[in-house]
Amino acid sequence: MSASNATHTHLSSSGGASQMATTQGHLTASAITLNFRELIKEPKGLEDAANYLFQGLLDDVVAGIFIEIHHLRKTGNLTALDGVGEENAESAYRICEMPNLDIFGISTAKKPMDCTCPHCDRLVAAARFAPHLEKCMGMGRISSRIASRRLATKEGASASSSSTSTYIQSGGNTGGTDDEDDVDWSSDKRKKKSTQNSRNNGSKKNNGKIF
Amino acid sequence: MTVSNTVDQYTIMSGDRSKIKDLLCNRLTECGWRDEVRLLCRNILVEKNGNNSLSVEQLIAEVTPKARTLVPDAVKKELLMKIRTILAENEGDN
Repeated sequence: MSASNATHTHLSSSGGASQMATTQGHLTASAITLNFRELIKEPKGLEDAANYLFQGLLDDVVAGIFIEIHHLRKTGNLTALDGVGEENAESAYRICEMPNLDIFGISTAKKPMDCTCPHCDRLVAAARFAPHLEKCMGMGRISSRIASRRLATKEGASASSSSTSTYIQSGGNTGGTDDEDDVDWSSDKRKKKSTQNSRNNGSKKNNGKIF
Repeated sequence: MTVSNTVDQYTIMSGDRSKIKDLLCNRLTECGWRDEVRLLCRNILVEKNGNNSLSVEQLIAEVTPKARTLVPDAVKKELLMKIRTILAENEGDN
């Protein structure tokens, strides 16, 4: 605003800018400035203006915060921000300290991990399943021989028990063939087998130790 | 012409209003007032959850006096002094 303009307004509206405001409904920039300067000329006016401005801005900020929270609540974000109560969480995720149970309250007892072979329907320990399947389905270096032999024993099956018995005997003498291993490698049979072996002195280890 | 009209119009025109508002917001956030008022608003909203008869304006009117008392004296004094100097220095120039 130029100086001349200011003096002009001042002269033309010597009665006061407030008169202009009431008559015209709006103020020019210079009139506003003039009003303001008259107001803050006195210390009391300045004090009032400062207090008013402070309160007004403070109220604005409060309203802003309130509406922010209100919006959060209406959109459901407030409950999301609150999260789950501590009591609820504790009951759901309490650490179990019972003996023989892990922290989730599940038994730590060893579960038998046996798989049923899809080829021969035998129960095989999980750890032995892959090698068993290899032999059973007739793949790999050793298995073809065994497969054919098994086929032969199957044909001879129940009729000639002598052939199987001789076979088993021969297997025991050589310290256990792959086939014998395979047959007995389901987990619950494992113990039986080892006792049998020790009785027969079939395994090489036992042989070495005993003799 | 009232004090409020004059001050509002002049501060908006000169750009002092946004300047002071920024300063105020910064100070209030720094001293933790903002979080306190947030909590206050939250509690009031949760309390009045049942009846939807109260309007937002009524609730704001309920919050405002409490929020005013929460403003630390140091912040209030500093802000009033700053506002006074900003308003007064306009008297001198142009």
